[in-house]
Amino acid sequence: MKISTGEYIIRETMISLKRNSWMSFASIGTVAVSLFVLGMFLILVLNMNRMVASLESQVEISVYVKDGVNDAGLRALEERITAMQGIRSVKFIDKEKAMERFRERLGDQQFLLDALGENNPLPNSFEVRVIQPDMVRTAAEAIMELPGVETAKYGQDVVEHLFDITRLVRLFGLALMFVLALATLFIISNTIRLTVFARRKEVAIMKYVGATDWFIRWPFLLEGVVLGCFGGIVAALVLRGAYRVIAAKIYDTLAFFPLIPENPFLHYVTAAILLCGMFIGALGSTISLKKFLNA
Amino acid sequence: MIEMKDVSKVYENGAMALDHVNVHIDRGEFVFIVGASGAGKSTFIRMLFREVLPSEGSLIVNGQDVVNMERSDVPYLRRGLGVIFQDYRLLPDKTVTENVAFAMQVIEAPRRKIQHSVNAVLDIVGLRDKYKCFPSQLSGGEQQRVAIARAIVNHPALVIADEPTGNLDPETSWDIMDIFKRINADGTTIVMATHDKGIVDAMKRRVIAIEDGHIVRDEAQGVYGYEN
Repeated sequence: MKISTGEYIIRETMISLKRNSWMSFASIGTVAVSLFVLGMFLILVLNMNRMVASLESQVEISVYVKDGVNDAGLRALEERITAMQGIRSVKFIDKEKAMERFRERLGDQQFLLDALGENNPLPNSFEVRVIQPDMVRTAAEAIMELPGVETAKYGQDVVEHLFDITRLVRLFGLALMFVLALATLFIISNTIRLTVFARRKEVAIMKYVGATDWFIRWPFLLEGVVLGCFGGIVAALVLRGAYRVIAAKIYDTLAFFPLIPENPFLHYVTAAILLCGMFIGALGSTISLKKFLNA
Repeated sequence: MIEMKDVSKVYENGAMALDHVNVHIDRGEFVFIVGASGAGKSTFIRMLFREVLPSEGSLIVNGQDVVNMERSDVPYLRRGLGVIFQDYRLLPDKTVTENVAFAMQVIEAPRRKIQHSVNAVLDIVGLRDKYKCFPSQLSGGEQQRVAIARAIVNHPALVIADEPTGNLDPETSWDIMDIFKRINADGTTIVMATHDKGIVDAMKRRVIAIEDGHIVRDEAQGVYGYEN
């Protein structure tokens, strides 16, 4: 493309944006709102994923050993569990340690344990972690089969519920983002349709004098990209501010909540929103031009 | 320049606009297409710059096969042609100069060449002193002269005019015809559809008469032949 053509395209884009300034303003606003909600769900889903990953990595199997298994038996058991597939770590907790933890957990009510005297009813146990959370069930079942094992527990109900919920949120988030992207596409293509319509005579004359489809398309394409980009900038700025405020609040009150740190996460989100806005803008104008160019 | 063989056009609503038409037009000719409204004149003219595609038959314009042409090649066909309409089709928010230059910008001509060529064609149509005016500030005849300037600025081998004097009074029409004569004298082929009996009869050029989609008359130095 020649430089003078580039200038022509940029000038035509500016003229068109200015001529339809209210329409441009309105569509930037609407695009900004859509992209904002889109970005919000992106952030939500990503944070959710992170939370789930962190919860999943904490899922562990408590293996309770039968009373009467001696030291050699315990060591053999530990080796056999470690040798199993998909096991990340095995940690031995003896009766005394288990009692100590129990006491800690009771806190003020430790006196309750005084009734036990010197008896320690808690069994020896192993804390087993698996490499992938979905291996938990099979691993637990296999461990149950080992000799000397009383039982192996991993909070079945909680874990499976967690998996169900996260699957649902991911699916819902993706579906919603898809719908919002479509809505944004519709808004931009409608705006461009209006500007093309306002300039349909010009487009017709361009065709008579031998302009290529691309020459006609460029200014409109650029207009769509500019609308999408501006909408994206507004959405990204608001999102960044909102995320900072909310993150600060959450750190104050729920410090354990594993929110994704702002940097460089917000930059990625900004880039994603801008790219998404520009892509949708380009696509929107291509769609609305198709009819005019083929006519 | 134009080779039309067995060309028919049937529109989607079933109307037959042209019925097995054969026409040969040489380079440098000046041809009038005459006939009543709805006879097929307009279809004939619009086929030449591929706004309408023949339903059957073959059509070569300026050495290019119009029927079997890729859609993406159509702009290049049109760059070799100049098209003029009854309603001028100027851009209202561009000046005379800009309207003419537009035809060159669109085909990505270098800026210096644009300026030079635009001045030259404005001289030909006699509008050099009105270069800054907008179409709304011009008379109908002047607007049509701008349209002619735009049509010839890229030096087309063929100029196609669809009722170019249809909206003009007789005196102004003759000014326009004088310009066409001069363009034709420089070797440009001109095909012009018209209703103007006076002009056709006085010019004594080739006349092709179309009736009900057929060519009923093709005379080297013809007359209009209908009562207006």
